[in-house]
Amino acid sequence: MTKPPVVHSKIIVLAACLLLYPLVFSDAFYRDIGVTFLLAAISASAWNIVGGYAGQVSVGHSMFYGIGAYAPLLFYQHFGWPPIAGIPIGIASSIALAVLIGAPTFRLTGHYFSMATIAVAELIRIFTGTWEFAGAAIGLQGPAVARGWWDLTFRGELPYYYIFLGVLAILLYVTYAIEQRRFGYYLRAIKAGERAARSLGAPVRETKIKALVLSATFTSVAGSLYSIKTGFIDPESGFGILVSVQMVIIAALGGAGTLFGPLVGALILIPLQTATNTWFGGSGSGLTYILYGGIIVLIARFEPGGLFELWDRIAPARWKRSHAA
Amino acid sequence: MLLDAQNVSKAFGDFLAVSGADLSIDEGEIIGLIGPNGAGKSTFFNCLAGDATPTSGKITFAGQEVTNASPETHARLGIGRTFQVPATFEDMTVLDNVMVGAFLRHPHRNEAREHARGIVELTGLNPVAHLRARSLGTPGRKRLEIARVLATNPRLMLLDESLAGLTPTELQEAIRLVRRIHEMGITIVIVEHIMEVIMTLTRRVLVFNQGHVIASGKPEDVVRDETVITAYLGHGHQRRRGDP
Repeated sequence: MTKPPVVHSKIIVLAACLLLYPLVFSDAFYRDIGVTFLLAAISASAWNIVGGYAGQVSVGHSMFYGIGAYAPLLFYQHFGWPPIAGIPIGIASSIALAVLIGAPTFRLTGHYFSMATIAVAELIRIFTGTWEFAGAAIGLQGPAVARGWWDLTFRGELPYYYIFLGVLAILLYVTYAIEQRRFGYYLRAIKAGERAARSLGAPVRETKIKALVLSATFTSVAGSLYSIKTGFIDPESGFGILVSVQMVIIAALGGAGTLFGPLVGALILIPLQTATNTWFGGSGSGLTYILYGGIIVLIARFEPGGLFELWDRIAPARWKRSHAA
Repeated sequence: MLLDAQNVSKAFGDFLAVSGADLSIDEGEIIGLIGPNGAGKSTFFNCLAGDATPTSGKITFAGQEVTNASPETHARLGIGRTFQVPATFEDMTVLDNVMVGAFLRHPHRNEAREHARGIVELTGLNPVAHLRARSLGTPGRKRLEIARVLATNPRLMLLDESLAGLTPTELQEAIRLVRRIHEMGITIVIVEHIMEVIMTLTRRVLVFNQGHVIASGKPEDVVRDETVITAYLGHGHQRRRGDP
């Protein structure tokens, strides 16, 4: 299928900006923001498949993120495996959990589904905090010095930036491919009205579980990338509720259920978060909660569809046509 | 026989919404279900569409038992339905709404789109095909629901008050559309309060009251039935028709 040139050119400009960013902003501080932005965009885009497109608002996605984050360091610490080997194990475990969780919780709808996901994620967080094998409350550490490239332990941010960018590109392509297929249409139909979707022959439960599995896969990869980069993981930074909430807020801010919505959300939220942390030092971390709360209120009150929806409403017709094309 | 519902009952707790209803439909028929609000016709209709599971009784479609089958299975077998309150996918365009239906028989996007375009054309939705469903008024949404079901290539269409709330001109257009669908060989069951629709379109009518089928037969006979007049139509209806 061919897309109009205007869309191609927008994607090329976006890709060029992302590719050149760390070269233009070579300061470690800005590169770190770039890496954090990409990681947030990957997590939110992964959440977006099930939370945005299918409208199944999971607030417990940290369960997959945490599993992905723990797997590489767990196998490194106990068996000396390179952390990269833990990524597929994290993915497999997340998929298994997605199926296990999806089967009963997808019988629930709306807030009940959201609450069930929070409960499961919290249970896992509490359990991990007492599980000695996983480092309990202290957590796990990765290799301090790289034994080889396969340890993915680099001195600077640049290699991480491009690895994360590559993963984001793959994820966006997968999401785009979903959008174009029957699966994507069914997801949007389920979000709009399950009863009507079923009456048209859409296999609702199967479609939701597939979406959750895909979403869990990429969320797990995001978690693995995080722990490999930071070389450390504990229950809070892996399974904490803030991890899940951040995914929801970023996607909702930019536009849940749109391809580039999570990117836009991350582009706004991450610099904002970094700014509050920088301005207020250590005491700024508490501000993150206030920031999240404020954004939730603003989105819910003024623009439930996110910034993409706002654009759709206020942009001049000429721009809208090229955007919709 | 295309659809056969035998002795269908549906209870909600102690309340019996449908009690021992029978309905047999031959391929190519148009049948009307009428009755006062709360008479049980929508519940019976939901049982036929797979949206509700009968408490007792048996429903077969094209020789296959569907009593406990899911709505998805009903759709796959060829039973399509509309909703009393239109349940269009609001943020999707009209064409995309129809494509969701078309995907049932055409898994590939281009084929589904081609099929959906044909249906959009047939149902007169072409001028609004690119608009989001939420920008349509009630008549447009009801038409879109019909188009969406039509895109699933149904053998039986269940229309739940799809012609209610239309202006006289829109009503005539909608009646023409239903006729056209019927001419395509699709069997139709209509739940409707507008007697003009029932009298114009259907050849057989079932009248529900308090969960029971109280009368069935040709529309012109049913409207003269004293039980039906007392339970539903009222004597004013006869006077309007100019009957003695």
